[in-house]
Amino acid sequence: MIKKIFKVSDMTCSNCAMKLESLEDTLDGVKEINASYHKLEMTIEYDESKLTEEDIVKAVKKKGYTASIRK
Amino acid sequence: MSKNNTPPIEPVTVVFLGVILLAISIILITFQPNLESLNQNAGSDITSQLIIAFITGITTGGLSCLAMQGGLLASSLAHQVEQDYAENKKVKTRFNARLPIFLFLLAKLIAYTLLGALLGWLGSYFTFSPMTRAILMIAIAIFMIGNALRMFNVHPVFRYFSIEPPKFITRYIRKTAKGTDTATPLFLGALTVFIPCGVTQAMMATALGTGSVIIGAALMFAFTLGTSPVFFIIAYLTTQLGARLEKFFMRFVAIVILILGFVTLDGGLNLIGSPYSFQNLTRNFSLLQTESAPEIISSEQTASDNEITLYVQNQGYFPETLKAPAGKELKLNLVTDGVYSCALAFLIPDLDFYQMLPPVGTTQVDIPAQTAGTEMYFTCSMGMYTGQIVFE
Repeated sequence: MIKKIFKVSDMTCSNCAMKLESLEDTLDGVKEINASYHKLEMTIEYDESKLTEEDIVKAVKKKGYTASIRK
Repeated sequence: MSKNNTPPIEPVTVVFLGVILLAISIILITFQPNLESLNQNAGSDITSQLIIAFITGITTGGLSCLAMQGGLLASSLAHQVEQDYAENKKVKTRFNARLPIFLFLLAKLIAYTLLGALLGWLGSYFTFSPMTRAILMIAIAIFMIGNALRMFNVHPVFRYFSIEPPKFITRYIRKTAKGTDTATPLFLGALTVFIPCGVTQAMMATALGTGSVIIGAALMFAFTLGTSPVFFIIAYLTTQLGARLEKFFMRFVAIVILILGFVTLDGGLNLIGSPYSFQNLTRNFSLLQTESAPEIISSEQTASDNEITLYVQNQGYFPETLKAPAGKELKLNLVTDGVYSCALAFLIPDLDFYQMLPPVGTTQVDIPAQTAGTEMYFTCSMGMYTGQIVFE
């Protein structure tokens, strides 16, 4: 398991964070997602063998947002 | 999310709904519901109290609720509906969009009615003092203004005005909603009870003041029912229109919230007797402009060396500025004649004086000696109607 933080700058309300957290239910290999509208970021704990950063970015895009890995 | 599932935007619909919202905001500015008249006029007909609660809901309540609940819950619901359509590849129909919104509002209605019953029951134990209400109003105003500035994306710090529900709540919502079409809107609707808007909180205070389970429940029912149409329109719009228009309406809502926030702040400042409220500042300014105007000192005000008279009317207090001699004790006569507005709830913050005036009659208030130059403000208990006594 690995934990990474993604910047999601286009969240507009707390509900956006809730939407992103719902990826927990659909993305295989995800253990936990904590998204924060206040910080405009999403912390995701996932299994590297099942999921890549690209997969996450794509899944976030499907929800209508743009994610980028925080440097 | 497939953009193909987004229905075409009809400009006529947009304009029509925009006009509705504009009309509501105009009503909001011109019509000022008397919240306290609900609990003050104990003898008045309960049906008329419920009508006032309903009108309050349909005017100020609906829009005010959007500040607290609209962004968080209605759009949550809306996005979910949109998402459901996208995922299920269903053909969008108006009926499908309406049902979850209806369920959301139904749950909200039930939750607030129960809350009203609880507040009515608690009302026999305690009530809000004008100062508590002032602090509440100022806090609510700050929250509303902060939220409006957040919606305008003024500065990242304003994002903290948005309430982020605890993780366990959002997770619970997701789990219970899984595989069903009704659980989420019902649960979200019930959850709104934890984030009441400013007007709702004022109505809750009113329900508290009734001291009756049934009237408290009926008041909150009537008020929440009143908020439903505006809430429905906004939630429906977010599901039916694209992100571009959603932003447009969010901006419109932000403007209304900002105005409401300042109005609430002004009311709160009036309640604490601040000279810096908009009403007091403008009155003082106009007083400077018309310092020698004869109408400011009427014959009634100087009829006696130690008595001044203020006429309490449905539209406020007249004259708005009373002049009184400094350095001596005074009697302030408050004259009412067929008054039923919130002007009856008379407050002098500096003296910590608060009294519910009779609809007809004269009430005398003892004013201790004041130094020359003192400005003593008076107001109704909602901070809507104001005036001042200038000692010289």
